[in-house]
Amino acid sequence: MSAAATGEALAEAGAAGAARADGPAQRLARWTAGYAPLPGLPDELVAGDGALRPAWDRFLRRLAGLPECEIAARLAAAGRHIHDTGIAYRAYGEATERDWPIGALPLLIEGAEWEAIAAGVAQRAELLEAVLTDLYGDGALARAGLLPAAAAAGDPEFLRPLVGVAPPGGRHLHFYAADLARGPDGAWRVLADRTQAPSGAGHALENRLVMARALPEVYGALDVERVASFFQAFRDGLAAAASRQDPRIGLMSSGPYSDTYVEQAVLARYLGFALVEGDDLLARDGLVYIRTVAGLKRVDVLWRRIDGDFVDPLELNPASRLGAPGLVEALRAGAVAMGNMPGTGLVESAWLAASLPALCERLLGESLRLPGLPTWWCGDPGQREAVMARFDALAFRPAAAPAQGAFTSRAFGEGRDAAETERLRAVLRDRPGDLVAHEPVRLSTAPVWDGTRLVPRPFVLRVFAAATPEGWRVMPGGFCRISETPEGRPVAMGAGVRAADVWVLSSGSTEAQASLLPPSDRVAVRRVPGLLPSRAADNLFWLGRHLERAEAVIRLTVCLLDGAGAVSTAAEDRATSARLRALLHAWGAVPAVEGTAAALAHHALSDGGRWGSALSHALSARRNAASLRERLSGEAWRALSALLAVLEAPAEGPDSEAVLLDRAERALSLTASLAGLAQENMNRAGGFAFVDMGRRVERAVNACRFALDFGAAGASTDDLGVLLDLVDSRISYGARYILGVALAPVRDMVLLDPYNPRSLAFQVERLAERLAGLPALRPDGVAEAPARLVAGLSGEIAGAEAATLPLDTVAAWETRLWTIAEAIGARYFPGGSDAARPETLTTLA
Amino acid sequence: MLYRLRHLTAYAYRNPVGFARCSLRLAPAAGEGQAPLSHEVVVEPAPRAATERGDFFGNRTVSFTVETPHREFRIDARSRVRIARPPLPDPGTGPAWEAVRDGVLGGASLAPEAALHFCAPSRRVPLLPEVTDYARASFPAGGGAYAGAFDLMRRIRADFTFDAEATEVGTPLAQAFAGRRGVCQDFSHVMIAALRGLGLPAAYVSGYLRTLPPPGQPRLEGADASHAWVAVWCGEGGWVGLDPTNGIGVRDDHIVVARGRDYADVAPVAGIIAGSGAQSLRVAVDVVPEDEDEP
Repeated sequence: MSAAATGEALAEAGAAGAARADGPAQRLARWTAGYAPLPGLPDELVAGDGALRPAWDRFLRRLAGLPECEIAARLAAAGRHIHDTGIAYRAYGEATERDWPIGALPLLIEGAEWEAIAAGVAQRAELLEAVLTDLYGDGALARAGLLPAAAAAGDPEFLRPLVGVAPPGGRHLHFYAADLARGPDGAWRVLADRTQAPSGAGHALENRLVMARALPEVYGALDVERVASFFQAFRDGLAAAASRQDPRIGLMSSGPYSDTYVEQAVLARYLGFALVEGDDLLARDGLVYIRTVAGLKRVDVLWRRIDGDFVDPLELNPASRLGAPGLVEALRAGAVAMGNMPGTGLVESAWLAASLPALCERLLGESLRLPGLPTWWCGDPGQREAVMARFDALAFRPAAAPAQGAFTSRAFGEGRDAAETERLRAVLRDRPGDLVAHEPVRLSTAPVWDGTRLVPRPFVLRVFAAATPEGWRVMPGGFCRISETPEGRPVAMGAGVRAADVWVLSSGSTEAQASLLPPSDRVAVRRVPGLLPSRAADNLFWLGRHLERAEAVIRLTVCLLDGAGAVSTAAEDRATSARLRALLHAWGAVPAVEGTAAALAHHALSDGGRWGSALSHALSARRNAASLRERLSGEAWRALSALLAVLEAPAEGPDSEAVLLDRAERALSLTASLAGLAQENMNRAGGFAFVDMGRRVERAVNACRFALDFGAAGASTDDLGVLLDLVDSRISYGARYILGVALAPVRDMVLLDPYNPRSLAFQVERLAERLAGLPALRPDGVAEAPARLVAGLSGEIAGAEAATLPLDTVAAWETRLWTIAEAIGARYFPGGSDAARPETLTTLA
Repeated sequence: MLYRLRHLTAYAYRNPVGFARCSLRLAPAAGEGQAPLSHEVVVEPAPRAATERGDFFGNRTVSFTVETPHREFRIDARSRVRIARPPLPDPGTGPAWEAVRDGVLGGASLAPEAALHFCAPSRRVPLLPEVTDYARASFPAGGGAYAGAFDLMRRIRADFTFDAEATEVGTPLAQAFAGRRGVCQDFSHVMIAALRGLGLPAAYVSGYLRTLPPPGQPRLEGADASHAWVAVWCGEGGWVGLDPTNGIGVRDDHIVVARGRDYADVAPVAGIIAGSGAQSLRVAVDVVPEDEDEP
């Protein structure tokens, strides 16, 4: 019976059972009608005999209980969640992140079938660990002829400084992934081993959260295996590699410009690891430290998410800006454990695939449970002969590249033209060891929801395994990539690919544990959580400053537009407007002081080409925020995105003053909500202090600047009105002083009034509070430079009187605030006094 | 031949440097006709902790950190070494280059001395079709591996111009090859790429040349700095040193310090400093036959 026939049968049954025109049975029939797998390839939805596979039958019957519009609405909500929380993916070379495209339906795998996959994945992980131990050890496998020494030695992932280094914690591999697909016979095959720094587990986690939320009744009814305890086991496994109890674990990140940074941030937050970059690490005196705002903190284990060659610019790739010098020496000394060890990428290479079956027999005494593609290394005369006999039928790949890159669209030499064939033959003549040949890949298919019905699409399944003290543990689930075109080629993430959750249907009872919370007796309560790397503090500080400056630019713009709207053409008013224009120009927000108010306002708000525009500051704020993803709430990221969206609004013709004013006011309400989110949601001991200090410093400087420009002796009523607007204090002023604006009261309110949350005095008091709450490095109890400087300024402000305050003093305060900002940077940030950016020494040969 | 040699490296920084981590490969190698008699290195400011070990290829490597803020950084290495190498092989002898190539591909040892470590492209030596094609003229079918390498060296010497201004330490090989000029590092990288393109193992050797030639002989290029040349694997003929910058085989005028796949493996001084601002570098090398110096 074909799938369509099954559907028809169900439809008849449904029609007979109820008079309703569109019940679950009709829906199911409609969805599966015309479902046609690719010829000669297995499919997940229908078996070879055309019947729905039992798991999918159960799933679809549940799903069909929901009306299509309901399904669509829930999937749209899932998509929005992905969008809003920024679980985004950036394709290599792209500047902007794109939303992670989730496929509508999970991939379903029956428990019994999964057990075979899991056993096979665990076996491969164990085998590859044994191969690595030998290759970085005494090389017996090469001597025995079980693997080609020339191929291993020629592989750029054979990192010679690691040869002879015993991996701290006793193993090279801690985290392993395999990319799987079904062969034409229906059996699972490994397309590629991922031993370097496998990505995707964070996406698997997020996909699960989203899908379980979107389809709770289906998810609940199917007894899906939970994935949380896998992550717990992985964390325990890494911790076991450390020599200390309660070790500190860092995720060594490839940085905000890498394609998997967001996933790294998600995992760091979920697992409770410190997200660190090379600049955060210092190898010294045989130990490795994280540079934090509280000084150097020892790190015990690093989960490496950069390529091994980039770990240490001194002993490995000198071009690396991601590593830290001395890390290899620290590994050699056993001072830090690293998962995976540098050099583990070696066993991803295609040349090894040809040797794996024999290696498995020799090292584990059993045959390979999950075979790879049939592969031949062309450096071996016998294998080369076999390859040349079938030259046209085989695909070729570089021997030292990942076996079957799921991240490449096409195997080298597959579907080749004459020129490519010629190049291939030249390599086979001069350097045959540089190539492997393998059977071409055609991917099997899984059903995808196209909006109205199911269609078969090729997919690749990534399965993850973690080393634990009890052996390899395989995540019951995974990360599935589905091509949007019905071609059977391997799937690269990027355009035209969707991600899907993977549901393993339990054969026993599902674990109850659904969250990562460990049993309470295993975790000590700690009020000051984790640690704040200096680099993160730097980004937080600048996030606060850029947001505050953006707000100040918007307020100046509002004043400019307000003045332009007034009918008054008095000289006084023009003078005030000129001052506003001059300040916007000095701040780099507008190209010139002349022009209509609307034209200038457009530049000041939305001109990304002006470094001082509100948009430019908001973009800078987002760049800072992008490096802080594990510390920012989803709401904060969302508000920042909304602010950018408002400021970036395209000009539909010349913007009118009213449109610009509306834009400015919407932007102001978003900056206010960002400030509120920081106040309410950020941990006081973590990042909040630095965001707040950035904001306070900027706001204090601006208060001085506004007072200098608009509060000079002889300032007009308009000037003083603008000054009150700029510090958002017109209402407070009106409530306190009935007689209208006058110089001394306005100055007092802007500069000296400690109860006005916009005044200079208020900002300086908050700075003092934040600094007092930060960890001190000096053991003698003497205040550090930033706190001393703030205390001095605070005293002067407290002793000043508005009526007699000389403007020179205000100007001097403004300068003092810059000094304070520099002192904060020197004390807490990596660009500070003793930790400038590293440079490389070189000499000519 | 007994040599006394001194290699001074001095960096001057505009802004103080608070932290430096360095590794040095400055000690003359032992073996293959070389016997080091003494070697000492003085580093200023004094390093915090220094360790010495052999790297993968057995080159002596000293690693240390300096944590005293400094504006000048000096590495002063002094050594004495005795050299007595056998004469170069007769170019008419040794196995055919194809046999050498196939033998390496079928090698079964990953030990550091195995020639198969020197066949693949490396960090500073990519394999380029134009460079491989340049090599072909020296390697007719069935020709000797050593004869071919010697001919290739002579051609590079003839076709390329020594020009210290044309390249710097980071210049890519493709550029040096296209311009047909450079310094010893470029000559050596080009020759290595040419040999490896045909599947023949070639190593990069760093070391020194005697500063002043024996009476009546011309002064060699690269004598006043550290020098570099190529070691070619000739199958049962073993490793043979060839200096493409000067077009000569390596005998008692050359002092071997380190051998690796390319410059990146054997840089005499490598380091990472924490500092900003400009740096300037001064290098002085003296290689003096010891009996010459005595009255």
